[in-house]
Amino acid sequence: MLDLIDVFERADTGLLISDIDYYMNRFVPKLSEIVDRYQIKWDRQTIVNSDDDLADRVFQAAVDLIVEAGAYCPDTNRVMEFSREEVLRAAEQSPKAVRFGEGREAKTMYGRGVDEDSVPWIHVGGGIYTTEEQIYLDTVEGLASIGIVDSLSVPSILHLRGKDARVRSPQELLAAIKTVILAREGIRRSGRTGLPIINGISAASNSVSMIAAASPQFGLRPSDGFLIDFLSEMMVNYEALQKVAYFNSISANIGSTSTPMFGGYAGGAEGVAILATSYLIMGSLIYRGNYHYNAPLHQNLRISSTKPLLWAIGMSNQANARHMKRPVVNLPYLAGGAGTKMYHYEMAAYMLSVVPAGGNIFSGHPAKSVEPDSLLPKDHQFHAELGLATVRYSRKDADPLARKFFAKYENSIKTPTKGFRYDQVYDLKTKKIINDDYLKIQDEVRAEYQEMGLEVLPS
Amino acid sequence: MDQNELFDHLKKAMVDLEPEVLVSETAKSLEAGIAPLEIIEKGLLPGLNTIGELFENEEIFLPELMKSAQIFQGAMELLQPKIQEQGVTAGKKGTVVIGTVKGDLHYIGKNIVKLLMETSGFDVHDLGVDVDPFAFIVKADEVKADVIALSALLTTTLMGQRDVIEALEGQGKRDKFKVIVGGGAVTKSWADEIGADGYAENGYGAVGLVKSFVG
Repeated sequence: MLDLIDVFERADTGLLISDIDYYMNRFVPKLSEIVDRYQIKWDRQTIVNSDDDLADRVFQAAVDLIVEAGAYCPDTNRVMEFSREEVLRAAEQSPKAVRFGEGREAKTMYGRGVDEDSVPWIHVGGGIYTTEEQIYLDTVEGLASIGIVDSLSVPSILHLRGKDARVRSPQELLAAIKTVILAREGIRRSGRTGLPIINGISAASNSVSMIAAASPQFGLRPSDGFLIDFLSEMMVNYEALQKVAYFNSISANIGSTSTPMFGGYAGGAEGVAILATSYLIMGSLIYRGNYHYNAPLHQNLRISSTKPLLWAIGMSNQANARHMKRPVVNLPYLAGGAGTKMYHYEMAAYMLSVVPAGGNIFSGHPAKSVEPDSLLPKDHQFHAELGLATVRYSRKDADPLARKFFAKYENSIKTPTKGFRYDQVYDLKTKKIINDDYLKIQDEVRAEYQEMGLEVLPS
Repeated sequence: MDQNELFDHLKKAMVDLEPEVLVSETAKSLEAGIAPLEIIEKGLLPGLNTIGELFENEEIFLPELMKSAQIFQGAMELLQPKIQEQGVTAGKKGTVVIGTVKGDLHYIGKNIVKLLMETSGFDVHDLGVDVDPFAFIVKADEVKADVIALSALLTTTLMGQRDVIEALEGQGKRDKFKVIVGGGAVTKSWADEIGADGYAENGYGAVGLVKSFVG
């Protein structure tokens, strides 16, 4: 695989063009040509693909896209170009497993195969905004206390002394540090101190804040996981490369992160499936990520549970599972509010699309991830259990069931049900659930799952 | 060929995203003696409206939207000199200055809104990403904008939207421009809190807002 300095130099030496030129005359026409070349076509009905040949063509198309379009560095206005051999070698040599956590909680996340009945990695939580320190601590403690959980994404808390921190400000740096300290304390209170946080660092929007808050004295360790994202489609900026340089230098786990936009430069389902797969390769090639956060998103709706996206997300997992087996978690951005039936239906369709496709489990981000205090640990326990239940399904069997769940929320996508907030469900003193309506909904959905043939056992 | 047929051909060339055909149909329409503004109003804009509907229905996506703006521009290059010769104005619906606020480097959402506004007939001036609050005001003054549109994706960059409104107030220009906000982290309650004139959850909402202000 290319060494890191070689990779960084590509950002300094490639073709000099404007970003608009890159998208209009390179990325967009190349992707369109590649979709046709490999005859990638979504039939507008399938949610879970079971055509291996199609998954293989998506992988080949993803390789071609990197080779023919390259990545773009906005800081130097240059295209980072890679040969086919370099891209294929990165795919072949990408890590198949990643070790997270400390002590009793240390564990290995593996890349899974399609239709594999191995127990997936169970990841819960989300970087959702939290308003109060008490709610933050209780949320993290609650998530970490779910016995079957292997790792956490911790929420964000961005205010200091009652004011929200501004991007790149010293307050943001302090808020990032505060987030880490509180997160580790919340985990410690659960009695699982070594449990890894793998969304380091949700409250840091820039490399300085992230590197500062990653200092071990605040509680994160190289055995946690640090996320490095692609700014926009195929865009790799210096901030990302600074993080790559630092986190590789301390030998930390790196989660390459991508959010290909449905309806954006990649177009529809076919383009998103290819692009999401390209990111899985580029995460290894450019970022040296040893795991990947796969987060395709609908440009307007800001969710990942539409039918074409479920297909595209599953497809990228299948392409990965059949050719690379990088450890992948998939981020479900859902429309329904926390604790609602819609939220749980979306999660069922999402799990059925990714788990039989070779993905690992990640609980749902409710209300498009914008409703503060909406991470409810009981929801995430339920989703972890749901994910485990979907392991029994092959892709072929998962598809009709995923369609049934999709049909249950399809008409509400643009007008989703509002959900519960933490303080509406939990007693802030006892940390017990006090909302019977909330519990009733979850019980009813569990029974509905059972009626539909999806037995979700309580953990 | 009667005028309605020519308008249909223009619309079809727009919707089919055929640049050469559109230029040739535009030339034919001029040769047939149709006024350039009528060519725009009855041929090109209906085509762009259909493209907007296709985009909204997820039948086409951003690449097609970008191409439609490009080929519309190609036809306008033919029409613009004629419009100037005749001493009439192109009849833009309104002028918008758009950008992603300071500290925020995200631009896909902003670019979609920009394209939808352009294809709806607005004159749009895009300042890009990470835009200084005062740069919005300088540009809005320069182009006599009706609306300033501010995008922000991150919770930590939302304050950049408030800064623009505060800077407008500081310069005594708050009533001169309508300010609309949008982006991943923006909510209606945030828009109300900072005193924005409007909030839209998506590009179509933004176009609707601008229409309501300048229509």
